[in-house]
Amino acid sequence: MAYQMATPAHSAHGAPRAHPSWSPYDNNGGTCVAVAGQDYCVVAASTRMSTGFSILKRDSSLFLQLSDQLVIVTAGFQADSRTLHKTLQTRYVQYQFAHRRPMSVGAMAQLLGNTLYYKRFFPYYTFNLCAGLDAEGKGAVYTYDAVGSHERVGFSCQGSGKDLIQPVLDNQLKAASPLVLPPEEWMTSLPLAEAVDLVKDAFVSAGERDIYTGDAVEILIITKEGTRKEVIPLKKD
Amino acid sequence: MLPVPTSHSPALGPGCAGPSLAYASASTRSDIAPPSAQQPCCGSEPFMVDPSAAAGLGLRRHTDTPYVTGTSVLGITYKDGVMLAADTLGSYGSTKRYKSFERLAKVNDATVLGAGGELSDFQYIQTLLDELATEDYCADDGMQLTPREVYAYLSRVLYNRRNKFDPLWNSLVVGGLEGGVPFLGTVGMIGVHYTDKHIATGFGQMLARPLFRERHRPDMSEEEATELLHDALRVCYYRDKQTTNKFQIAKVTAEGVSVSEAFALETQWGYQAFVNPAANALGTW
Amino acid sequence: MFLTRSEYDRGVNTFSPEGRLFQVEYAVEAIKLGSTAIGVKTKDGVVLAVEKRVTSQLLEPSSIEKVAEVDEHIGVAMSGLTADARTLIEHARVETQQHRFSYNEPMPVESCTQALCDLALRFGENDDDEESGGMSRPFGVALLIAGWNEAEGGGAVLYQTDPSGTFAKFSAKAIGSGSEGAQTALQEGYRPDLTLAEAEVLALATLKQVMEEKVTASNVDIAKVAPRYHLYTQAEIEAVIERL
Repeated sequence: MAYQMATPAHSAHGAPRAHPSWSPYDNNGGTCVAVAGQDYCVVAASTRMSTGFSILKRDSSLFLQLSDQLVIVTAGFQADSRTLHKTLQTRYVQYQFAHRRPMSVGAMAQLLGNTLYYKRFFPYYTFNLCAGLDAEGKGAVYTYDAVGSHERVGFSCQGSGKDLIQPVLDNQLKAASPLVLPPEEWMTSLPLAEAVDLVKDAFVSAGERDIYTGDAVEILIITKEGTRKEVIPLKKD
Repeated sequence: MLPVPTSHSPALGPGCAGPSLAYASASTRSDIAPPSAQQPCCGSEPFMVDPSAAAGLGLRRHTDTPYVTGTSVLGITYKDGVMLAADTLGSYGSTKRYKSFERLAKVNDATVLGAGGELSDFQYIQTLLDELATEDYCADDGMQLTPREVYAYLSRVLYNRRNKFDPLWNSLVVGGLEGGVPFLGTVGMIGVHYTDKHIATGFGQMLARPLFRERHRPDMSEEEATELLHDALRVCYYRDKQTTNKFQIAKVTAEGVSVSEAFALETQWGYQAFVNPAANALGTW
Repeated sequence: MFLTRSEYDRGVNTFSPEGRLFQVEYAVEAIKLGSTAIGVKTKDGVVLAVEKRVTSQLLEPSSIEKVAEVDEHIGVAMSGLTADARTLIEHARVETQQHRFSYNEPMPVESCTQALCDLALRFGENDDDEESGGMSRPFGVALLIAGWNEAEGGGAVLYQTDPSGTFAKFSAKAIGSGSEGAQTALQEGYRPDLTLAEAEVLALATLKQVMEEKVTASNVDIAKVAPRYHLYTQAEIEAVIERL
């Protein structure tokens, strides 16, 4: 991604700093998916970390697991992603000290949105999903753009494989269009096992065509009993 | 999503979008300042990466782009700890400017640091780590930064500098031993950082990493690890113009940190393909 | 001029040798001069009842405000220097709105109470720094904070704060000049299974006991948080008076 500044940053002397062809951003790839069910949430992310045509690491996790019921997954620029995760982890702990209760998915969703928007003019180049179980125990998925716009949805996909996976989810999870009036239930009625299978298929398929998706996919299955993790190998090519 | 082949420079490592190297000379530019206190007066032109960056600006911008650079750093874990390897060249563009520059440095009793990219920035980073080491020494409690802490610290330093649009132009490799477990991590100039069982920065990512992926095992003996690094260094020397045949290997084991004397590898240039590379090629190669 | 306790009651930052901060204790005393305020918690919500001292025939009773809304789910009743309470309430309003902004949820009532006590304790700091929001003396006001917590295990809650920055949680609490008598009455009349309507009567009847004047719709204010804040109209107050 070529990054262009509308106004260049300035040095201490007030003179513009300009680095010919230096970019503060990179795209390290990775795909993440989250599906909300009536009483579960499936969250998955590939583990390959790339730059350009190179693979940097094959077992890099995109997850920030905040609790048994709450997780954030981030694709995009790894350095921004780690910074964001560190910030949110700190805020999560501080919230618990201040309010003596764990943060709800909705609260973290808003906090993440704000955190992203605070860097509106030098954004975190990250593509996030915030997922878990809400106060009623239903699956909750929030999907974001890089500058903090967000929306609660029944399922979503972010990252390099999003163009390949999102349409398949739209089709397979038979979501009612958000344009339908009166609004219809958008949460999938799929049983947990079928949702997990769908997610696995989605990653295997994306791994076939997207060079930034591969090596393995980590799947977190969040239910009221807690969080379970599966790791499924993908092709390493 | 299209891959962006220019998103990193092979010479500088992950995340380094390096400019094409170019000489500024009187024949291509008319605005080269005459030798002054700040510029070389040895008679040659000052070397500059992408002269257009400096053109028309009154300010000297010599810290905005890398000048004296080191190339790849390699690192692997093995049975007893970690090994890092690098050559000793400091390149000034395509000039072999410093031939005995040590790019592997001991940080403390359990950590080594290797660096590619701008070597003055590397020396600055060493002063930062020296300050921290001095604080640890003054505390006199026997505690030192662990390799993981050094790695985490450097990742924040490099990320913060990229946030200021004033990057430290390096790819760093941190190796060490933490509670008997080998640690190996790397940090790029825009803050990208990761740990792995084997690591190579810059050109080494293309040249050495495939060898590592094929031959590396975490339980390698010291001899096997050394041999693997030698082979990887040899490939780098054959194929990376910025590598010289003068290398060092640093080792962190339970015995502590050691950085070897510089050594040369045996090379073989008599292969037919080297002698007459175009013999069997139909193209222009 | 009555006898001062010692040289140790001047500065707010100086403990007496017995380990007391006299200025804080004096501030607590100031509340005992204030009008009485009563809070009663039930499982359906909290009722706040306050006495308004209408000191003159010519005073417009509606201009005396001793209960205030902090947020949809939090109301406070005050006793003492009500002008000081404005500062605290303004602070609480900002805090609760900031919480909504950051987390898209109502602020937990205890957190709001804690935020108020943090401010109450910030006296005597940074003499020259106006920005810190600190006061040069303790606030001379006590608050009853009635609220409703959304989260599970939540529901109605009642807190009381004082100038020392201490807070505690109550089922029923009285503050102000009549607080001693009122608290005894509350202790006798309170049951955990009170309905909201019964709580209205308990609060107002208790208030009536300790008030010098006859209770009318214009010399008391009643508010509830059940689960939203609501300030009673004249007619609603009259209806409660009817049921006494």
